[in-house]
Amino acid sequence: MFRKILIANRGEIALRILAACKELGIPTVAVYSEADRNALHVRFADEAVCIGPPRSAESYLNIPQVISAAEITNVDAIHPGYGFLSENANFAEVCEASHITFIGPSSDAIRLMGEKDKARQAMADAGMPVIPGSEGIVPDEDAAEETAAAIGYPIMVKASEGGGGRGMRVVSNAAELLLAFQTARAEARQAFGSPDVYFEKLIERPRHIEFQVLGDLYGNLIHLGERECSIQRRHQKVLEESPSPVMDAKTRCELGERIVVALKKLNYSSAGTVEFLRETSGKLHFIEMNARIQVEHPVTEMVTGIDLVKSQIRLAAGERLAEVIGAVEFRGHAMECRINAEDPETFAPSAGRITAFRTPGGPGIRVDTAAHADAVIPRYYDSLIAKLVVHGHDRAEAMARMRRALEGFVIEGIKTTIPLHRKILADPDFIAGNFDTHFLDRSAALTAR
Amino acid sequence: MADPKKARSNASPGAQGVNLQELERLLEFMGKHGLEEFEYEYAGFRVRLKKASHNSGPIFRPVMSPEIVVAAPAGADSPSSQSSSVREAASESSRTDDLHVIKSPIVGTFYASPNPGEEVFIHVGDQVKSGQVLCIIEAMKLMNEIESDADGEVMRIFVENGQPVEYGEPLFGIYPHRKK
Repeated sequence: MFRKILIANRGEIALRILAACKELGIPTVAVYSEADRNALHVRFADEAVCIGPPRSAESYLNIPQVISAAEITNVDAIHPGYGFLSENANFAEVCEASHITFIGPSSDAIRLMGEKDKARQAMADAGMPVIPGSEGIVPDEDAAEETAAAIGYPIMVKASEGGGGRGMRVVSNAAELLLAFQTARAEARQAFGSPDVYFEKLIERPRHIEFQVLGDLYGNLIHLGERECSIQRRHQKVLEESPSPVMDAKTRCELGERIVVALKKLNYSSAGTVEFLRETSGKLHFIEMNARIQVEHPVTEMVTGIDLVKSQIRLAAGERLAEVIGAVEFRGHAMECRINAEDPETFAPSAGRITAFRTPGGPGIRVDTAAHADAVIPRYYDSLIAKLVVHGHDRAEAMARMRRALEGFVIEGIKTTIPLHRKILADPDFIAGNFDTHFLDRSAALTAR
Repeated sequence: MADPKKARSNASPGAQGVNLQELERLLEFMGKHGLEEFEYEYAGFRVRLKKASHNSGPIFRPVMSPEIVVAAPAGADSPSSQSSSVREAASESSRTDDLHVIKSPIVGTFYASPNPGEEVFIHVGDQVKSGQVLCIIEAMKLMNEIESDADGEVMRIFVENGQPVEYGEPLFGIYPHRKK
């Protein structure tokens, strides 16, 4: 097992990793920017090192600073959390070169999954169903016209190095194609440093369904069922649940097995998430893989009883999957609401000082947060301030618990998305499990007034 | 927040009390004699100063300056307000107000000399010029020379050879020459 772990992150995920380390008896080192001097992850870690000014590029994303902090504190492993350096293949490589274990997949796997067109091709070759689209990047306008016609409109133009919904364009007919192609390339160059884009058939009214996987260093890998993440706003997940209201045991088992076979071929290890779009017909298509622990991992933890972060650490330390995870069993229904420091109607970020903070509790409720009364939410980082997770014996009980928990969750001083979640939980279509990724855009009453 | 100026003037309870210069002198006295902890009592007023210990390995905490514990005199009218005002003054003194502090721009290991066993770059009392190399900070096997950004006299060296330093950690206190 590791001697000491450096947590290269902040906020609730840094605390989540701290909790896992404490339970495993591993000392921790927190790193922080000047804006996080008083943050809880700094206070709760055994040691803490300031690594730079508030801007992420100069602190949490600054590889030399993070590695130096790891060297002077003599850690033998780094957990990157999600975001920041978690899917940076160079960082994983520098860790390897510095003889520090990067708690995550290999740098090769991260690099492959980071290049979306290559990942799609590799997964297709390994037997995954993928959305019909271009073979790799679309180099020029002639190829664009030819490829788009072959796929059939409407299509999506996506940045090869993109993610989080950035660098995407919908093209509904041939007349729109060239302009969309050019602007998407310009946007991709600006945002990701590479103008490469690829095409995919647009799936109308899709549901976003993803599978959690966990693998060891010896080629063993399992899936831990799916999460339904269709409640999104501008490609950002808002609410997640497991199981999906539309997934049956047979489909889960069959698709899960195909994922396991494909990822074993690619030698994938550690935790990861395989994302799919589900057509209204029920057909599922691979879209991308996230080579990290995800924000919504607690949903899977609640239905499987498996501690994913502790598992990640133990697997990275060389334990075998069979030792870490026993038989996998799915129990009940779990749901997570992301509480963001945002105006619930305009979604404008709402940084500032929290004056009152009261979290709900009672049966089946879990709150992952680094916020507290008198905490200041800095304007430099992600707006996620708390994850409210509930578990019930079925979806109806989970929803009832979520409503109760949202009523009892008090945050004053800043605006949060709690009111939005209350509206979602009261929506007849949501309650019926009848929704897709456009649910929030369509439900104008929910998001704007 | 209390007005620091007001806090400073309030920091003279009793006959003499403790003021900024006094605390500064005490801190220097501690440094001179290598004291870790120091207690000072005068005219019914007691101050306890304790240095943050670096002995237990590289444990970094947000507050790296000496911890200052101030006890209010017994029987004071408003002990809480008094002690807080003194603490205010004390923390000001530990910031060494009139010194220009050169902070570490990176995380790494502090070296006072160009090579092991060689003469250190600077001593306390040396005159330094802007651009002059003051120390080396090793980060990821790279030796980074840290230069002075002011002309003046070196009054304090806050870190020891071989000590790990974090971003923004005070390295040197320089008494700047007046601009002409």
